[in-house]
Amino acid sequence: MLGSQLIEKRIFLDDKRGKRELEEFLQTQDIRLDENAEYIMAIFNEDELIATGSLSNNTLRSIAVKPKYQGTSLLNKVISHLIKEAYQKGITHLFIYTKPKSVKSFTFLGFYEIARVKDVVLMENSPTEIQSYLNELSTKKVDGKNIASIVMNANPFTNGHKYLVEQAAKENDVVHLFVVSEEASIIPFDIRYELIKKGTKHLDNVILHKGGVYMVSSATFPSYFMKDANQAINVYAALDLTIFKRYIVPTLNINRRYVGEEPYCEVTKIYNETMKRILEGEDMEVRVIPRVESQGRAISASFVRRLIKEHELERIKDFVPSTTYEFFRSKEAEDLIKKIKSNTGRH
Amino acid sequence: MKIVKRALAGTMESSDIQIVVEAGEGIEIELKSSVEKQFGNQIRKVIRETLEKLGVEDVKVIAIDKGALDCTVQARVAAAAYRGAEIKENYNWEVIK
Repeated sequence: MLGSQLIEKRIFLDDKRGKRELEEFLQTQDIRLDENAEYIMAIFNEDELIATGSLSNNTLRSIAVKPKYQGTSLLNKVISHLIKEAYQKGITHLFIYTKPKSVKSFTFLGFYEIARVKDVVLMENSPTEIQSYLNELSTKKVDGKNIASIVMNANPFTNGHKYLVEQAAKENDVVHLFVVSEEASIIPFDIRYELIKKGTKHLDNVILHKGGVYMVSSATFPSYFMKDANQAINVYAALDLTIFKRYIVPTLNINRRYVGEEPYCEVTKIYNETMKRILEGEDMEVRVIPRVESQGRAISASFVRRLIKEHELERIKDFVPSTTYEFFRSKEAEDLIKKIKSNTGRH
Repeated sequence: MKIVKRALAGTMESSDIQIVVEAGEGIEIELKSSVEKQFGNQIRKVIRETLEKLGVEDVKVIAIDKGALDCTVQARVAAAAYRGAEIKENYNWEVIK
């Protein structure tokens, strides 16, 4: 029975014994331990682990309650604990991935469904958040026959990105260009956005948007930002694109999405394949633009970062617009270049 | 008292209520309760009265109730409102009785 002996505890992954116990428990529930979790809590009945949940940035993950105790208020305890922790960090817009059969339980805990794909449902802790985002977005709606969209991270903005945007601008009345705003890349959002803005200034039918939380963010497409990227990537990609199709497309009357061909990054490759599968239909077309080559190789932002890292800043001139090049030569970029040189991550 | 940020008080455990406040226009209350049928209106009334006593005029409240008593509702609303208004001293606890 459950009583006053219940203990809520934080679990640290460097505590080997605690980690093993947690892993074993999650395994019985068919849930994988999320190594990216920033905060993990568990509830013990005396010495027995009976419920757990974790927090990774703005998403609640790896939530499980021992079957014997399901239907008691353990889930409420776990979620309340994690919500409180998130609020203390100043994170108040929260997401949760769950299975269809658990949607009802989370609805009782104040979560609302955004989208579902097969056996995964994404929910958020607000009944109005996505609508207010769309209301804001709709103020930038422009009429036209062909309305294109691009989502890019541009880390940093290269000639490849520029070509992609130019193609879209040429073939459409309007291009809605969304810049991934998640701060998971080595180059901060403000700079990525600014370089895109400068590099597309000559195109008067391009409208720039901050991508926000509903587009290739750690909530909608965590694979893009995780180390063990291939885990569940198909599902996440499908969810991200389902949200795009269901909410963004009708708000702006988009009928095309442009994407650069991806020869290198496996995650992006799968994402692009999924894009065709989910988005393409009667009113929507996906156009894959081949990569521009320079000096016999496809231009990529990661190659540009590598050049910077390897002290070959001058060479990036062949791969980026003059606006990007000038920025990296400016005093303003000094700290960033230092950061790039010491970076070991994927982004 | 002006709500300047989204703030939270309380839990979703039995006999408690989780209150989230954020900036809004007028007093707007969104309530989910396990005892909605019997006590939904009473809970809304207590939330509203507590806010009025605190002088909060523009706020959106998202409340998830798990059977809290009135005094618990008052305490949670007051705590959330103070946090949302970033007030950290001179609390008026008279709103709870």
